[in-house]
Amino acid sequence: MPSIPSIAISRSQPTVEDDDVLITIQTKSGIFPVTCKEGDNVLYAGLRVGLTLPYECATGTCGTCRCRVTEGETDLQWENAPGLAYVKQDKNETLMCQARVRSNSTIRVPAEVTDTGSRPGYFSGTLSNLVSLTHDVARFTIDLDRPVSFDAGQFVVLNEPSLEGGRAYSMTNHTGETSKIDFVVKRKPKGKFSDWLFDTSPNGVSLSVFGPLGRATFDPSEGKNILCMAGGSGIAGMMAIMEHGTACGYFADHRADVFFGVRTSTDIFFGDTLNRYVDCFPETVSVTIALSDEEPDDALRARYPSLKFANGFVHSVTSEHMKDRYENVVGYIAGPPPMVDGALRILVLEARLPASDIRYDKFG
Amino acid sequence: MSNWKPVCAASDVAENTLKRVTVDGLDLVVANHGKGVRVFPPFCPHMHEPLDQSGMLSDGLLTCGKHLWQWNLITGEKAGLSEKDILLYDVEEEDGKIFANLEKELVYEWEEEDEMDDDDFFGSD
Repeated sequence: MPSIPSIAISRSQPTVEDDDVLITIQTKSGIFPVTCKEGDNVLYAGLRVGLTLPYECATGTCGTCRCRVTEGETDLQWENAPGLAYVKQDKNETLMCQARVRSNSTIRVPAEVTDTGSRPGYFSGTLSNLVSLTHDVARFTIDLDRPVSFDAGQFVVLNEPSLEGGRAYSMTNHTGETSKIDFVVKRKPKGKFSDWLFDTSPNGVSLSVFGPLGRATFDPSEGKNILCMAGGSGIAGMMAIMEHGTACGYFADHRADVFFGVRTSTDIFFGDTLNRYVDCFPETVSVTIALSDEEPDDALRARYPSLKFANGFVHSVTSEHMKDRYENVVGYIAGPPPMVDGALRILVLEARLPASDIRYDKFG
Repeated sequence: MSNWKPVCAASDVAENTLKRVTVDGLDLVVANHGKGVRVFPPFCPHMHEPLDQSGMLSDGLLTCGKHLWQWNLITGEKAGLSEKDILLYDVEEEDGKIFANLEKELVYEWEEEDEMDDDDFFGSD
């Protein structure tokens, strides 16, 4: 067994009870012992005690939370997780977000890690208020067993016992500490969770909730102008950002430019809410709906008088409207992977924003 | 000088673009940053993303779209959020052709065969 890095720091061992297992997490910046229950998720166990472990999607797709198991045993929650393409399973590498710990284990994480992170946790929730917004988009609320506070732009992982694996959804609301969190979901072809949601109307069903998670967040103390580029249900976290910024008066002296891409006028949702955000701060807040598949008509403009409309993909529309307006901007991106890639190119190549001012959670 | 191999024509790689090529079985990416060309292994040193697809190039700055790791291709230094240097082959341009010194394949520590060594797994930065 090779030696551990010389920068490792020693810490006192936490109390271990009989049914607990101990995960020893070795990182570039030290060793952290974490106690949890057998079968617990390694990533969530570490995050719960404040470790700043690397992750993005927390649901097995992006590969960011890769690690190596050097001692002990783990198994996979989702055996076909796409993010496993980024690890060498024959060398005992795995994804922390999919690894369930089965015995005392030692896990190496190739990243700088501290124990000063926020501490997400498990909640139990009840689904309610499921409402269709368009033919393939619905909103719903989850009533939690206790209040949670989160930053605008964060997400949680929902687990429904009959469906394999967790699903990450961004909260659309932001009201400080709350036990009601709101979501929007677009129906995906063959999507097990969305089929379940749309076909069984599961109001009243219990779900396990882990969070809050994600770093694509809005912090008013940064003092930046806001640029949001969203495709479809990617608007979710940006609704929370707009709610927060409107409620706290942030947009009295900071700009917000929101670009929301959908296919046609019948795919628009949250239009009334966005219209209201513009009306609250008409000098500084601008919302443009980009229709990829049709020209906007006068009826649409009359329906939402404070919104702007354009024909085209959301990143192209953003590029046209934002020329020379990128000063002191922080950019948020969310949507389907091709839209995210197009939007990133705008923010990196045209806006030339530093990487630290580009916020997105890579789910692909 | 038999290790110097022609990689492609200079005109094959427009300014601010990246092109993937294979030379003697070795996969490479050629990048034209406007003040010259760089040749490097085809994957991001962070998570193995194919840089000819994930890479964005402007003002000499190469950005991988996966996690926004960046490198200044003019100086060869890492930039922004990047935690690892990019490995660069020596290049020369002559008579409209780009040549690279392929004497030894450049590999990131993550990929080495003996990577069970801790220092390799944890990286050297």
